[in-house]
Amino acid sequence: VAMIYVLYIIVGTICVYTVRHYWFTLNRLFGFQRHPYIDIDSADWPPVTVLIAAHNEELVVSHILEALLAAKYPADKMLIVPVNDRSTDRTREIIDDFVQRFPGRIRPFHRTEGKPGKAAALKDAMELVETEVILIFDADYIPGAGIIRQLTAPFFDPEVGGVMGRVVPMNVGANLLTRLLDLERSGGYQVDQQARMNLRLVPQHGGTVAGVRRSALREIGGWNENSLTEDTDLTYRLLLHGWKTVYQNRSECYEEVPETWPVRIRQIMRWAKGHNQAMATYAWELLFGKNRATLRERLDGALLLGVYVMGPITLLGWILALTVFYQGIAQFNGIIALLSLTAYAAIGNLAAFFEIAAAVRLDGHRKRIAILPFLALGFTVSIFSVTHAAVSQISSLWTKAEFHWDKTERFRKATS
Amino acid sequence: MSAFVWAAALLLLTGTLLALPLLPAIRELRQNSDAEPLNVIQEHAGEIRYFANRFRAYLEPLEPILRESLISGRKASGVMPDGTEYLVLGSGTEALALPLGEKDELCPVLLASATDLTVSSNSTFSRDVYSRGHFVGGINNQYRALLAEEGLHLGAGSSVMRWVHACGELQAETGCKLFGRVSSDCRIRLAPNCKFLRLNAPRIDFDNSAELPHSFSEVIPASATPERRLHDGDFEIKSGEIFHGDLVVRGDLRIAEGAQVFGSVKSGKVLTVESAALIDGSLISAKELVIGTRCLIRGPIISERELRIQAGTQCGAPDAPTTVSATRISVAPNVVVFGTVWAREQGEAIA
Repeated sequence: VAMIYVLYIIVGTICVYTVRHYWFTLNRLFGFQRHPYIDIDSADWPPVTVLIAAHNEELVVSHILEALLAAKYPADKMLIVPVNDRSTDRTREIIDDFVQRFPGRIRPFHRTEGKPGKAAALKDAMELVETEVILIFDADYIPGAGIIRQLTAPFFDPEVGGVMGRVVPMNVGANLLTRLLDLERSGGYQVDQQARMNLRLVPQHGGTVAGVRRSALREIGGWNENSLTEDTDLTYRLLLHGWKTVYQNRSECYEEVPETWPVRIRQIMRWAKGHNQAMATYAWELLFGKNRATLRERLDGALLLGVYVMGPITLLGWILALTVFYQGIAQFNGIIALLSLTAYAAIGNLAAFFEIAAAVRLDGHRKRIAILPFLALGFTVSIFSVTHAAVSQISSLWTKAEFHWDKTERFRKATS
Repeated sequence: MSAFVWAAALLLLTGTLLALPLLPAIRELRQNSDAEPLNVIQEHAGEIRYFANRFRAYLEPLEPILRESLISGRKASGVMPDGTEYLVLGSGTEALALPLGEKDELCPVLLASATDLTVSSNSTFSRDVYSRGHFVGGINNQYRALLAEEGLHLGAGSSVMRWVHACGELQAETGCKLFGRVSSDCRIRLAPNCKFLRLNAPRIDFDNSAELPHSFSEVIPASATPERRLHDGDFEIKSGEIFHGDLVVRGDLRIAEGAQVFGSVKSGKVLTVESAALIDGSLISAKELVIGTRCLIRGPIISERELRIQAGTQCGAPDAPTTVSATRISVAPNVVVFGTVWAREQGEAIA
């Protein structure tokens, strides 16, 4: 009988996330859309430093450097700092070639030793940063000409500590996986992030196509090199200190998504571990601590922290439901159970699909919605991957195994 | 029929039902008909002169005809490569002789002038209009889009539906409705009762703001990166007080008369700036923002809902352009803005 109560709690939790999915989607479709800073067109633009996180990026680093050099931002107010983190390929050589060709525009940070990981590299690179506004890109991204202004504009608001732009896959047509990831990204940014912005909740800092205010970063203690997802960690530390992270849906930037399932699985496992790490660190303080977050930010922030725990919880729910069914245990029989089951099957299961379909519609691409049923495959892989990540994370408490940083493999073809 | 056949039939039926939604998915996966990256890098979204520049490029095939008309002083007509009819005028007053004098007369052709262009009143120009020199429009005209290589004057009660750009000074008389992008490389002057959405120029004058602007470099000491103060509830910066640092107030914020703020301020609710206040930073309100008379504000001014700017206020400076943005904006006479004014729903120059 205890099992069924656990199952009820799980079903209740899943229902909360279902309602959240619908709330966000309906807000995005019919609610007031907040883009308060995107109109900032003329300004006395502040100096910015653009950090490019690069670890063995010989295939892609020249593309982002070229794109940034073409940005519409006063050249004398923008310093590009490629953070070359212990690369063993031609990354250093390529960066140094750009430094020679564009004197004064690029100040490289070549890191040859130290703790691995993006956060650790960014932390060390801060010694080169003198500006209040810091923008961050991963090396495989290709920013548009206007994005530096767009990501800088929110920092005119003294409450803004972090900024996040929208990530758009560029290798969509490579295979089924990339097409599924394209749909997931649409749902995640076009609906999820923008709805959280609209509703004054907690848009998440993504650590790339993003910005952070140096004084805010200093106030919260700098980059956390022990975090596997420095972006999530940053989001919550900013929130607890009364800084807002804002999302700019119209500040889009192309990225390369994984083209093979093993790479995708490693990526999502790292995200899950980092997110869970942030949950363990900040959930209690966020919900019950004395901090500067508003009530709605606390609730949404807690739900956001829990997203990767929902994988194992859902899996546990399936196991319990089957066990309960075959043991013939039931608290509510007959019509109530049947109606609940039917209602959830009709509405609940479709919440995430509805969100993604709405996102694709907002993007104005109707035909790619046809791929939607295959997302069940992507979700199944994700559920098992994040469950595996959670289990290994818990088991590491006993084995004392250290987390390690898995760099996401690049698939772009080299250019001459 | 045996149980085995029933079971097999059930399995087949279930499998078919499951596979049905996958059919369009498999077809799309095979055809890749919508597998391009989203076209998201939109230059026109951030560049106010995008349409004007594109129109200028569109007119390039007309260049020899414009030159010839200028020399001969004669009209020429024809069809653009995309099938649009055009009329090129060699003399600026020729347009006055066009059959456009009657009320609600329609000009359905692209009008291009090799020199100054003057058009009569009460006319509708359903195609874009181009003037190589000055453009002077009569009253109560309706335009689709306008480009003038020198100054541009819109008569009272005129409307522009898409965009208007002048390389020289752009002046709109009382009661004009400017629905799209309005820009000038030099200066925009809006008379009272004009409605607008998006304005951009080195200097924008609402009615007559003839007095010389203040320069922040002269009146305000440059500030270093200021400390931030976060306050829950309402807050007031008192009259004449000098406040150093950034300020975030979660309730209402009132900056009293003559106060000086060396930093940026934000209010979660209503932000009121009383007369003669000076803000060396940005002004942000999550709801409503009211700026009193004779204020001097350096940075961007953003209100997520209403914004009212009262007479004599200066936003930005010649050496420090800025943006004024809100859902609805009303601006009193004698206000000057250096940079951009962007009303998402409606902007109005009030009398």
